[in-house]
Amino acid sequence: MADLFHNLYMGFSVILSFENVLLCFIGCFVGTLIGVLPGIGPLATIAILMPITYNTEPVGALIMLAGIYYGSQYGGSTTAILVNMPGESSSIVTALDGHAMARQGRAGKALGIAAIGSFVAGTFATLVIAATALPLSDLALSLTAGNYFALMLLGLSLAIVLAGGSLLKAIGMLITGVMMALVGADQVTGEPRLTFGTDILYNGFDIAIVSMGLFGIAEILRNLEAREQRPVVSNFIGSLLPNRKDIAEASGAIARGSLLGALIGIIPGNGATLSTFASYALEKRVSRHPERFGKGAIQGVAGPESANNAAAQTTFVPLLTLGLPSTATMALVGGAMTLHGVIPGPQVIAKHPDLFWGVITSMWVGNLMLVIINLPLISIWVKFLKVPYHLLFPMIVLFCCVGMYSVNARPSDVLQVAVFGIVGYLLSKLRFEAAPLLLGLVLGGMLEDNLRRGLILSEGSIGTFIGEPLTLVTLGITGIALGSALLPVIRKRRVYLVEDA
Amino acid sequence: MTIALLVWFGAIELEFGTITDIRSGTLPTILSIALAIVGLGVVLQGLFQPPGSSERLELTIRPTALIILSIGVFGLFIRGGNFGLLSTPQLGLLVVGPLTVFIAGCAADRLRVRSLVVLAFGLTSALLLIFVDVLAVNIPVYPKAIADVLNTSLGEYFALRAGYVVYAMIALGLYLILYMSAERKRG
Repeated sequence: MADLFHNLYMGFSVILSFENVLLCFIGCFVGTLIGVLPGIGPLATIAILMPITYNTEPVGALIMLAGIYYGSQYGGSTTAILVNMPGESSSIVTALDGHAMARQGRAGKALGIAAIGSFVAGTFATLVIAATALPLSDLALSLTAGNYFALMLLGLSLAIVLAGGSLLKAIGMLITGVMMALVGADQVTGEPRLTFGTDILYNGFDIAIVSMGLFGIAEILRNLEAREQRPVVSNFIGSLLPNRKDIAEASGAIARGSLLGALIGIIPGNGATLSTFASYALEKRVSRHPERFGKGAIQGVAGPESANNAAAQTTFVPLLTLGLPSTATMALVGGAMTLHGVIPGPQVIAKHPDLFWGVITSMWVGNLMLVIINLPLISIWVKFLKVPYHLLFPMIVLFCCVGMYSVNARPSDVLQVAVFGIVGYLLSKLRFEAAPLLLGLVLGGMLEDNLRRGLILSEGSIGTFIGEPLTLVTLGITGIALGSALLPVIRKRRVYLVEDA
Repeated sequence: MTIALLVWFGAIELEFGTITDIRSGTLPTILSIALAIVGLGVVLQGLFQPPGSSERLELTIRPTALIILSIGVFGLFIRGGNFGLLSTPQLGLLVVGPLTVFIAGCAADRLRVRSLVVLAFGLTSALLLIFVDVLAVNIPVYPKAIADVLNTSLGEYFALRAGYVVYAMIALGLYLILYMSAERKRG
């Protein structure tokens, strides 16, 4: 326990430097901004903004990326409440009761309780991360290459199963992603593989380029299909602060949401979105007035909002302790860490304690900032909702181009973004999820590395993978997870979770 | 329609799968076989799905092409260079920036030339300020031919600042002219 406080103290000493507070603020601010705008999710946001973080220190970059991530989760709920257009998939549920409250003239209260719930959940999740990180990374350090390989397979398959969409297509995308990860120089021998004789592919696929194209540009293309409609924003917001009765009604929901979210976030898969559905269902079940849900029940806002915030934070746990990103967004964050020379995994805590604890405490600071940014400035966000899309998307396009060019000063990078933009658009038209591809791309290298190392150590016998109990159990669970996805009940549920957070 | 495209996707997967290079490691081969199987699975699923459940594949060609073109223009002309088939001159952000915004903006369902022109110049100016001046990112600003002359006569920094200040003024000026005149016409 004393260790925990010592570590948190170290974290605060990192985050409370002028530069880092500023970066955290920028991250939260930009994240909220983009989250508020409907149509651009956290994944696209991080993909688009990743190049800006290249010029900062690793700690600052991660703090900012984390800020963008939970800021956009938060911004999404503002749009959901005010306009009934969920900015992100994780705020679909919030829109149900949140917008009902807004129509009753209680928009301010819904926003207020969402902010309070998110903050409480954020605080709780920060403590959960701080407490679970050390034991988990100790465990991870004792794992063998075979264990790791099995664990990665488990993580990937859970991510697919819990994500939704066609299972077969998801597997196809995943394999394509892993395959893309293998393009370029061989990690051991340096031989070029799958490059088809071109130089451009020798260095492999750049995660930033692929994700900016597949998610950023493709998202713009998808949005352009729909006729532009102006969101109707109610200008009447009402009192922001919930009264004592509201708080009393919502406090149970916030507590349950925080706990549920923190737990679901750790499991690989679409944590933030999944937790909102789970929390809403739970609140409806425990409520004495289930008929009020959908008609402006404050618990229906407080629970899911707390849950998605807690889950958004605890999804960092597998990435930071095991080096296994559980969602596409985390895969991007992991990619950004690697670019800064910090390899995600159990060594992070030991080798870069300042970075680890700095990022964790920054989440708490960021949550505090979000409350400050959001509540008093709500009228500004409402104005942003009125920026027409026809002005917004050319801005994003130019921003992407400049951002991408500024990373390596290579014009061919920009052209590759365009190519992946088309690919992403076609994939989404054909109902292929691009998220598993990104996960595969990030994890592919590690996957192969561990497989090879395991085989080298065992001198080529597959026995290492089947003989060891932990590996066998993990592989077994992987099989069960994939198999269970074929059951009709779960199949039906997965339909709800089509979009990745 | 969907079915045809699924077949096409599957075919690409198969092709990609079998040409794979097997020089180092076995994983590429294993994966290519797995991918081929999954690709085949997707194709079969496409073929055997009930006819009613397939949806028509509707691609919006024009916006897509325009956006891709705008990015392409940026990539090809920002610094110029030799791209195999064609070699391009460097035009710099001052020319390419507004062009990119304008072409991309044309992808909207209704063309709003006035706001787009203002945006094109204003945004380029803002990005020059943020990226090139404040963050000191190395992006070509002027077209190659002018750049040398300007940089020697004005100095690099002054030339850059002059560039974005002028653009900001153009944006402001255009805004005033275009919108004022509109007001007057209406009034």
